[in-house]
Amino acid sequence: MDVANGTTAASAPVTNGDREDSGGYKLKFCTVCASNQNRSMEAHLRLSQANYPVISFGTGSLVRLPGPTIHQPNVYPFNKVSYDTMYKELDGKDHRLYTANGLLNMLGRNRQVKWGPERWQDWQIGVPRTEQGKDRGHTGTEGGVVDVVFTCEERCWDAVIDDLLNRGSPLNRPVHVINVDIKDNHEEASIGGRGILDLADSLNAAAKEERDSIGAAAFDMASAASRMSFDERVPEIIGEWQERWPNLPATWTLAWF
Amino acid sequence: MAATPQLSVADQIRQLEGARKLVLKDVSYYPQVIQATLPIIGPSSQVEFRRWGSEFLAEAFATPAVPLSSKETLSLVVLDTLKSLVEDPKQDVLVLRSVIQAAASIYPLAMRWIINNSYDSTTWEKMTAIKTRIRDIWDTAPLTVRICCVKFVQRVVLAHTSSVNPEPRRGDPLDISRNMVPLNHPALDGDQLEAEASGLLDRMLSVLEDDARDVHNPLAGRMQQYVERLVRSRADIFDETGRKRAMIDQASAVEAKRQRTATLSSQPQIEITPLKHGENSLADVFTFTSNEGLRKFSVSETIPAPLAAKISVRTIAQLDTEILQRAIDGVRARLAAFHEAHQQPINPETAPLDVEEDDDDYEPDYYAAEDTEQLMNKLDSSPSDERRDLQAPVLGALALPAFKLPPPPTLDPEQAARVGQGAIARVFGTMQTLEEPTTKKSKAGLNRLAASSYDRDSWITVIARLATRANAGLDEITVKEEDSTLALPTVSMSDSIREMLYAYVLEDFRKRIDVAVTWLSEEWYKERVQQRFASSPGQSHDVPANYEKWTLRLIDAFLPYLHSQDRVLTRFLSELPELTVSILARVNTLCRDPSLVNLALTSLYYLVMFRPPVRNIALDTIQDIWTEYEDARPTAAKYLQRWRPGFVDAAQQATQGTGSTPVGTNGAVVAT
Repeated sequence: MDVANGTTAASAPVTNGDREDSGGYKLKFCTVCASNQNRSMEAHLRLSQANYPVISFGTGSLVRLPGPTIHQPNVYPFNKVSYDTMYKELDGKDHRLYTANGLLNMLGRNRQVKWGPERWQDWQIGVPRTEQGKDRGHTGTEGGVVDVVFTCEERCWDAVIDDLLNRGSPLNRPVHVINVDIKDNHEEASIGGRGILDLADSLNAAAKEERDSIGAAAFDMASAASRMSFDERVPEIIGEWQERWPNLPATWTLAWF
Repeated sequence: MAATPQLSVADQIRQLEGARKLVLKDVSYYPQVIQATLPIIGPSSQVEFRRWGSEFLAEAFATPAVPLSSKETLSLVVLDTLKSLVEDPKQDVLVLRSVIQAAASIYPLAMRWIINNSYDSTTWEKMTAIKTRIRDIWDTAPLTVRICCVKFVQRVVLAHTSSVNPEPRRGDPLDISRNMVPLNHPALDGDQLEAEASGLLDRMLSVLEDDARDVHNPLAGRMQQYVERLVRSRADIFDETGRKRAMIDQASAVEAKRQRTATLSSQPQIEITPLKHGENSLADVFTFTSNEGLRKFSVSETIPAPLAAKISVRTIAQLDTEILQRAIDGVRARLAAFHEAHQQPINPETAPLDVEEDDDDYEPDYYAAEDTEQLMNKLDSSPSDERRDLQAPVLGALALPAFKLPPPPTLDPEQAARVGQGAIARVFGTMQTLEEPTTKKSKAGLNRLAASSYDRDSWITVIARLATRANAGLDEITVKEEDSTLALPTVSMSDSIREMLYAYVLEDFRKRIDVAVTWLSEEWYKERVQQRFASSPGQSHDVPANYEKWTLRLIDAFLPYLHSQDRVLTRFLSELPELTVSILARVNTLCRDPSLVNLALTSLYYLVMFRPPVRNIALDTIQDIWTEYEDARPTAAKYLQRWRPGFVDAAQQATQGTGSTPVGTNGAVVAT
C-alpha cells in the first residue's frame, strides 16, 4: 500500500502523478459527489493516475461553485458547461478571488481530467461510453458500467441508492456502492482521494486474487463456502480499511444496475 | 474472430477485446460478433475464454443501447451456450456469475417470445432448464453466484406475476408480466407461473427469516420487522393480484378497526332513532347523530364542494360495511314511515316520470315531470345561490319541488312543414347514398315490405308510401271545411315529398323510370283503396286525384328530352297501372316533331297489341294523330288498317268532305 495511514503525508507516486501500470485485472470505479467538482474529481484523478478505469458524477441538481459572497454562487447546469469554460469565465470575472479560494486551481485540474461535470441521474448506465476517449481513466469504462461506486457524502450515497432503486435495476448487474464521508474542501478532498485510492487498491487486490486463485480450477460445490469470493470479501476489506482511515467513515451496500 | 492456435491466450483475448470495442462503438455489429464468438467461448474452451465470453454476453443483454427486439432475436442464438455453461457442474464461478446475469436479462425476453410464438417449445425448454439449474445451485453456490441467482429469481418472479403498476404511460419495455400470458396458451399456464413465483419468493424470504430468528444476531429484532412487512406485502400481492395496491393500508386499517369494534359488541355502534313528528327537513332524515352542534353544522356553507366530496369518498371507502348497511336500512325505514304518514294523491307535476295514477294509460306528453337529467341541466345553468336552495330543500313533502320547463315555442304549420321537409330531405339523402343494386332482384310488387332490406328500393318504397299513405284521409278533410280557422300549410307534407320524388326521377329519368313507376303505382293503389272506402255507405269523401296529376307532370317534364331511339316511353306507358285519355293525349303531342312520330306510334301500337284494356283509347289516340299530323299518316294508317279497318278511308273521305275530326271516347280504362 502506498498510503498506510490517513494521517501521514501522501506518498510520492500519488502526488507526483501517474503510477506505473502493473497490468492485470482492474475493477472499474465511479466517484460521486454533489457537484462533480472537488471530491469526486480529486478521487477520479487519483484513481486514473493509478491506471484504474474510472468515471465520475455529481448528484446535485446543478453545479454550484462559491461566488464573491455566500449568496452569489456560480451556478452551472450539468452536462452542458465544460470545466474549461468555467475556468475562463471565473478567471475573467475575478482572477484574484478565484485564485485565492482555489477554484481556478481546482477547475484547472478538472479540465485536465475530463470535459465537464456529469450528473449521476442523467447517466445512461450501460450505454457504451466511447465518445469520452480523452477523459482520464477512460480505458476500461467503454462498456458504460462499473463494479464499485464511491460516494463522498451520505447524501450522495442516498441519492445514488434511491436512483438505482427507481431505475428498477434493468441491467441485472451487481455494483458495490461505498460511501466515504469527506468534507467539501480542498484539503479534505485530497485526503479523501488518497483514502479512496487505498480502498480501491485493496478491493482490486481481492478481485485479482479471486480471479487468479479460482482460476481455471473447477469450483467444487461442497467446499465452495470455504473459499471467499470478491463480493463476499468487500465488507471485510472495508472494515480493515476503516481501521487505517478512521477519519473517513464508510458505508457500504450491494446494489444493482 | 481469429482464435488461431499459434496465438497466446492473452493475445486472443486482446483480439476479442478489439471486437468488443467495435460493437460498443456500433451496436449493430452485436449479432455478427456474438455469432462469431459463440464457438470460441463454448463450454469446452479455456476458462479465460469462457469468462470473457460470458461477461461479453451479460454486457450485450444488459446494455440499453441494443433494442429489446434485437436482444430477443439474439437470445435465441445464445440459449444453447448459456445452458451448457450453466449446467457444467465444474463451471468456473465467474463464468457462472456472468451466465446467470445474462440469463436474468434474457428470461423476460424468452417469456415474451414463447407468449408470442407458442410453437417454439424447444426454446422455452432451454430457458426452463437454465432456470431449474440456477434454482438448484442457488443454495450451494458461492455467495457471489448466489446474489446473481437471487437477481435471476427476482426477474422470474416479476415476469410470473401481474405487474404491480401496469402503467402504459411509463411504457416500461421490460414490463413483461403474467398479464401478457393469454388464457389458453399451450405452453404457459398463468396460474402455474404465479404459483412458481410464489414459491420462489417464499424461498427468498425464508433466508431472511432464518437469519432473523438467530437470537445472537444483534439486528434480529429489526430484521424480524422487515421480514414481517415483506411477508405481508407478499401475501397482499398474491391475494389481490390485479387489484389496487394503494388500498392495502386502508384495508388493513379497517381490519384493525373491525377487530376492535368486534370485541366491544357484535353490532356496529350506531343509534337509529325514529324521526320526530311534524316537519322534517331532508337533512333530518339522513341524520343519526344526536349531537346538536353537529346537527346544526352546514357542510355546504363552510366546506368547499370538492373538499367535501373528497372527504365523503374517503369516509365511505373506509366505512365498515355493516355500519353503512345499518345506516341505509335506518334511512330506508324512516323514509317508509314518512311516506306512510304523508299518503297523499300523487301530484302529477312533481311525480317522477314512471309513477302515474293510472298505470294502464300511457300518455307521455300529457304532462311533463322532469327526470334527473333535466334537473341536472337546470342546476348547471342556474346561479349558485339558487343551487344552494336546491341542495337543502326544507319541504313539507319529501318530493322535489315542482320544476316546469318553459313550454316549447308553438310550432306554426309552416314551420312544421319546413321541419318535415328537412326530415324528408334526410331520408332522400340516405337513399341516394346507397348503391344501386348490382343484380336486379325480382320485384315483390305492392306486397313488398317497405323497409325489409334497407337498400335503395326499400327506401324508395318507404318514401313513396310516406307521400301517398301517411296522411291519406287527412289531407282532404281540411279542404272540406270552408271556414276553417286552422291556417293551412301552403304546401302539404305529402306534396312536398312528391315534389322531391318528382325532382329525383327527373334528375335521371331514363335510369329512374322504375322509381317513377313504383311511386305512381303506390299513388294509384292508394286512390283505389280510398275510392273503395269512399264508395261504402255513410262515407262521402272526395278522393284527391294525385295519380293522374303527377303522371301528367312527369310525362310533360320528360317528353321534351326524348329522342327517336328512346324506349323509356314505351316502357313507362306499359308499366303504368292506369292509362287515361289525357295521358295518351300527351303522347300525341310528340308527333309535332317528325323524328319522334315513329316513337309515339310504336309506343301506342305496343299498347294496342299487349294491353287490351287500353286498346281502344290507344287506337283513338292513333286516329287523332292520323288526323292531326300529316307526317304521321303513313305509319298511323298502317296500324289503323289492321285494327280499325275502314277508318282511314272514311276519314279521308270526311276530310275531303267536311274536315271534321273524329274524337275517341273519353274515360279511364283500367289496365289490370
